[in-house]
Amino acid sequence: MSQVGKLGFVDSKLGAPTSGQQTTRILFNTIEAPGTTSSLSFFKNFQGLTNGQTNLTQNKLDSMESMVIKTIWLTQFQSSGELEAIGGLVQQTLSVIVGNQTVVKNLPIQFNQGINGQAFDRLHENGGSSTNEVAFANPIIQTAMPCEIRLLTDIVIPPQVAFEVRIESNAGVYGSGAVVCALAGYGKIFSAGSSF
Amino acid sequence: MALSAQDKILYVANKLGLSTLGQMQGSTGAVYDVDTDVSGQIFSSASRHQNPGVTNITENQFEVNEALLIENISFYVKNAAGDTLNFQNVYGSNAVILYDLVIGNKRVMKDTPVFAAGSPYTFANTGNIQKVNIDESLNPAFNPRHQTFLEGAGILIPPQVQWYVDYRIFNVVTGATIAASDETAIGCYLFGTRVLLNFNTTI
Repeated sequence: MSQVGKLGFVDSKLGAPTSGQQTTRILFNTIEAPGTTSSLSFFKNFQGLTNGQTNLTQNKLDSMESMVIKTIWLTQFQSSGELEAIGGLVQQTLSVIVGNQTVVKNLPIQFNQGINGQAFDRLHENGGSSTNEVAFANPIIQTAMPCEIRLLTDIVIPPQVAFEVRIESNAGVYGSGAVVCALAGYGKIFSAGSSF
Repeated sequence: MALSAQDKILYVANKLGLSTLGQMQGSTGAVYDVDTDVSGQIFSSASRHQNPGVTNITENQFEVNEALLIENISFYVKNAAGDTLNFQNVYGSNAVILYDLVIGNKRVMKDTPVFAAGSPYTFANTGNIQKVNIDESLNPAFNPRHQTFLEGAGILIPPQVQWYVDYRIFNVVTGATIAASDETAIGCYLFGTRVLLNFNTTI
């Protein structure tokens, strides 16, 4: 079943509106200065974050909106802006909770970080074009890349249902900058008229 | 089975009463423009821009029976010399573009982030690099991609309807806004299945 079909199927099962503008939706949330910790919860705290740090104001979609989670994306920044490996190099697991149900359970993320070259999906490659050799990374010279996992099944976030992304580790080192989690996929946003 | 690009074009054309769009030439195309005014809007002032140095359109709407099904939205930087640069190389990894795509009076992409560090969908990875006979003190550096690959079957810009991209730039670590300048103007392209005016062929 395609993402479009899956979203329509779940929305109709829940009695949610199936009309609306079809689009590609990317939700993101930032945790500032997480330090060293064994647990991170994204999409839980929105207090004090600007529009540049999250594009939601609560941990649920609006009443006429829904989406499919197809890609989970994670990054970690130093306070100076330099990108680094998320959580250091320690093994971490990720869970996605929608409503009262765990829909992704303890999925290891470190393999898709890139350091060990063992990404789950066969098309996972360096997306950048040219490479260079540098002694030290800085904000405009990036030697690490974000961690991204493409899900094999389509996970639906229905309208007005709380959701959360949780990362667990044995003392992951997340630093004093920020960590960002983004969920991306096909979605619907409110539209008063017909779709383009 | 997923909807194909051609099916989506014909579906929307039918909804809009564009009965002859299906008889036009199917193609692949891209439109691009740069916010040289640093106004926070791309494509809306394309008619005033140098072609093809800055843009490849004369106005931000297509002619009769021409359309574009957007499948990939990408951002880049253009400096005063006209060079096309990587967004991360200029703004740093901690920058994020938050954009809306507006077609007619409708917002079809909403608060969508494009991270300078490399966006979702670009499948960036630093694996598979092993140093052989080179200076061990050096590390490989990468130019990340700044694109949104549209899920489903893309979004159609119909003929003779204006479109533009609204954007802002933030520092994702501090949350502060970042101002662009002439030297760091933001450009955008929309790539996808194109419909070209043609009197005899079909898509």
